[in-house]
Amino acid sequence: MHSMMNIIKNKKIPFFISGLLFIASVVLILTIGLKPGIDFTGGSLLELTFSQNRPALQDMQMAVDTLNIGSAVVQPADEDGYIIKMQFLGETEHQEVLRGIRTYFNAEGGQATEVVETSEGITIGIAQGGDTEPTQRILEDRFETIGPSISSELQARSWEAGIAVMIAIVLFVAYSFRKVTKPVSSWKYGMTAIIALVHDVVITMGVFVLLGHFYGIEIDIPFVVAMLTILGYSVNDTIVVFDRIREKLIREGRNAFAQTVNNGVVETIPRSINTSLTTLLVLVALFIFGGMSIHYFALALIIGIALGTYSSIFLASPLLVVWEQAGRRKV
Amino acid sequence: MAKKQINLRSKLRWGIVGVFALLILSVGFILPSAFNRAISFVERTTAVSIPHISEKSFKLGLDLQGGAHLIYKANVANIPQIDRASAVDGVRDVIERRINGLGVSEPNIQTARVGEEYRLNIELPGIEDVNQAIALIGDTPILEFREQNTEPPRELTEEEVQMMNERNAVALERANEALEKVKDGAQFDDLVKEYSEDSDTNNNNGYIGFLGPNTVLGEPLYRWAATHNSGDISDTLIESEVAHHIVRRGGQQDGVPLIDASHILVCYLGARNCPNPMYTKEEAAARAQELYDEANADNFAALARDNSDDQLSASEGGSFSPFPAGSGPYPELDSAIINTEDGQIIGPVETPYGYHVVYKQGTTVPTEYEVSHIAVAKVREVDILPPQDPWKPTELGGKQLDRAEVVTDSRTGNVQVSLQFDSEGTDLFEEITKRNVGQPVAIFLDGQPISVPTVQQVISGGNAVITGTFSVPEARELAQRLNTGALPVPIDLISEQSVGATLGAESLQKSLKAGLAGIILVMIFMMLYYRLPGILSVISLSVYISVSLAIFKLIGVTLSLAGIAGFILSIGMAVDANVLIFERLKEELREGKSMKASVEEGFIRAWSSIRDGNLSTLITCFLLIWFGSSFVQGFAATLAIGILVSMFSAITITRVLLRFVIPWFGHYGNALFLGAKKTNDSDV
Repeated sequence: MHSMMNIIKNKKIPFFISGLLFIASVVLILTIGLKPGIDFTGGSLLELTFSQNRPALQDMQMAVDTLNIGSAVVQPADEDGYIIKMQFLGETEHQEVLRGIRTYFNAEGGQATEVVETSEGITIGIAQGGDTEPTQRILEDRFETIGPSISSELQARSWEAGIAVMIAIVLFVAYSFRKVTKPVSSWKYGMTAIIALVHDVVITMGVFVLLGHFYGIEIDIPFVVAMLTILGYSVNDTIVVFDRIREKLIREGRNAFAQTVNNGVVETIPRSINTSLTTLLVLVALFIFGGMSIHYFALALIIGIALGTYSSIFLASPLLVVWEQAGRRKV
Repeated sequence: MAKKQINLRSKLRWGIVGVFALLILSVGFILPSAFNRAISFVERTTAVSIPHISEKSFKLGLDLQGGAHLIYKANVANIPQIDRASAVDGVRDVIERRINGLGVSEPNIQTARVGEEYRLNIELPGIEDVNQAIALIGDTPILEFREQNTEPPRELTEEEVQMMNERNAVALERANEALEKVKDGAQFDDLVKEYSEDSDTNNNNGYIGFLGPNTVLGEPLYRWAATHNSGDISDTLIESEVAHHIVRRGGQQDGVPLIDASHILVCYLGARNCPNPMYTKEEAAARAQELYDEANADNFAALARDNSDDQLSASEGGSFSPFPAGSGPYPELDSAIINTEDGQIIGPVETPYGYHVVYKQGTTVPTEYEVSHIAVAKVREVDILPPQDPWKPTELGGKQLDRAEVVTDSRTGNVQVSLQFDSEGTDLFEEITKRNVGQPVAIFLDGQPISVPTVQQVISGGNAVITGTFSVPEARELAQRLNTGALPVPIDLISEQSVGATLGAESLQKSLKAGLAGIILVMIFMMLYYRLPGILSVISLSVYISVSLAIFKLIGVTLSLAGIAGFILSIGMAVDANVLIFERLKEELREGKSMKASVEEGFIRAWSSIRDGNLSTLITCFLLIWFGSSFVQGFAATLAIGILVSMFSAITITRVLLRFVIPWFGHYGNALFLGAKKTNDSDV
């Protein structure tokens, strides 16, 4: 029944694919590198919405260029707005930029004027357009400005959190497999889980290097959170698979290690796929409906979790067998 | 055995009741208004009183309800290490008071220390005008009391003296040249144009106007004019402090009559500005009467010196410097003085300061002379030295201010701002007024003098008044600014994040839509793939979702966009436990175990995987909460709560439901669970 699939026997195919993707990602990260956003470089982000048709991108860029604020990147946002990324602005400069853009397009400012109170205490603001003679209004939807001290702190804290999560996961894996010793010692289970984990995160980063290079997608705090969540989630998958292998080893003895591992993996495939499928379902919903600011956060999680499931099936367990065979040859 | 079965069954029934009670209760917490309407309806129809659910709403993050998050850095470089934390706390208090004036609901202000840096995190939910808030927060009204700078300016250097002398020699030469021309019969008006350096008059033929005896700089001019006739032009240079003048006299006129008067003040406890009260009001009145009875033109000065409580004039024999009628130093005495004949002493006049005995020595009418001049400016020390600040700071300032309030001067109706100092300020103010009796003391606001009163006497009550030309709103604003106080240390805005209410509402709608879509997709998947247990897991998922939301509400988890994302993610993960159990259950069934045994086995076997798998995500969450900024914490907190609740719901609720349902299906169980044909060993 379980011999329909032999993952262990065909392990070279995923090894090759993963190796290729991993090396390519490492090269991408080291050469092009991830594109850091204002969370890490410091700077300002201004999101504007136009109540009438928004101007063309060139016009918007021209308007920003007249402001004398150094280099600024203009990107379209939703259907009716723009996002402008600039250097760090103080509040006075912020107001000048707003005024400058409004003057350039001969537009008025304004706030969300109509606020609807729903039964659950949620307020919904509706931007007021013109009544008879539609006047262009430029509404400020979002403004973020991050000074150099904050951005360097965020950078440092991201590293700290990343390292702390890594250490905690390694310790956790070592603890989880403390009782298994034969025929593969517990630290090898742990190492394998960690290798799978690094594989997932590095390839996800590689994808974002490409996204950054070709589409200007920047790395922000949510991206770091996504990476750390993948660390936690990916190890979860691997642990479940290893758990099953461990159980099988106890029950079926250790003679046919490769066969036992294969059985364990194949038996957990429905579960592995189903759990990540449910998680991926909600993430896809988040990706499609969740709005701009959560878009790439969801994408990073989707890529990472899909990779995590793949690696726990096709990478971690076969690696375990490789370890075992290598150990046996030595003896 | 049978009895035990029945017991188990009734226990299970209670379990089911518990599950649904939990569901209803948590939904009640999430949607209190709908529930309370239902409760009210039941109350009306049955006359039973049922407690209502508190209508607390979800705490939404700034990115969902709109608002601003500001981070300031406190500049504590000039403050000793040990005082820094308390100084920053002081800043927080001041900012809190200022923000309270903005009408922001539930502002949140926290101080944080990052390395050596002190920071203030300010959250302003729902704020509309961030610009105004920032202006208000960074506002630094600096109130200072300054006294006259009496320190001698520095001496001129030898070079400067030499330069000054050279330039003065040139000026004198020029003035003499003009004088020669006057003597040679040149037109005075032409010479004004050619020589005069007085920019106020040289376009008007040097015409100054009528000079009285008290003109400070023009005093030498007045003296000359008093001894010459109309039309005379001075034949020597007249030197004043600022220039060499050639003067032409015009007509003359009577000036404003000046009154010479003296007084003896007897003040009492409770009178305004009474330095050392010795009397009650009645005693003071009696004492003043005594002094009046004793006083005559000859002994008045001596009596005043010994008895007057007006320390400023007492040393002068009670004498005021001559003043025009109607504008004496004590406005309350003006009418009494005007109605008194010269040479008379009048008896106790009451003012808010106490009782006065007044001697009106006489009235003089000064003569004023009309003059024009040609002025050649001299170079003085002050022209060379940088201007010396006429005011020097005292230690008294906004720091020692207890409160400021708007008061109306009962006499003039002018709006004033009254200041009450704390004990330290009271002492300082007393010292300052003691040092400066008869001298002006200036009240500076933000570096500008707003009031320069002259100290009449020592003030020991710690109460000062800023007079000035305020309108009522101006005075109120000033008092409010002073009350909120100056920031103890300067602050810099280092980060700002603001989200408009529109975008916030949009984000909220989008994330709710995403959540709903995710939930529905997961539920459909579970029902299609796992059939009966799938349906049960949908019920337990509903309990899970409502319990989690109720917990978020109950413990006040702030739901930001990241928080909702975390929760949505946890929904996907919550199903994980059910998937593990059901897969296990299927395997057990395939191995030919009975339905009941399979269920129990499935739960037991799956538990270690569920625990270990979720533990790793929980560890990550806790580290994220520990390290993270607000985005990270919102995400990690909801994800962690979600996972914890999901472990409970998967293990407890799904198990109760399964155990309860199994006996209903008997032989058909396997088909419902496995989608496989009915096996022959499905009975216990």
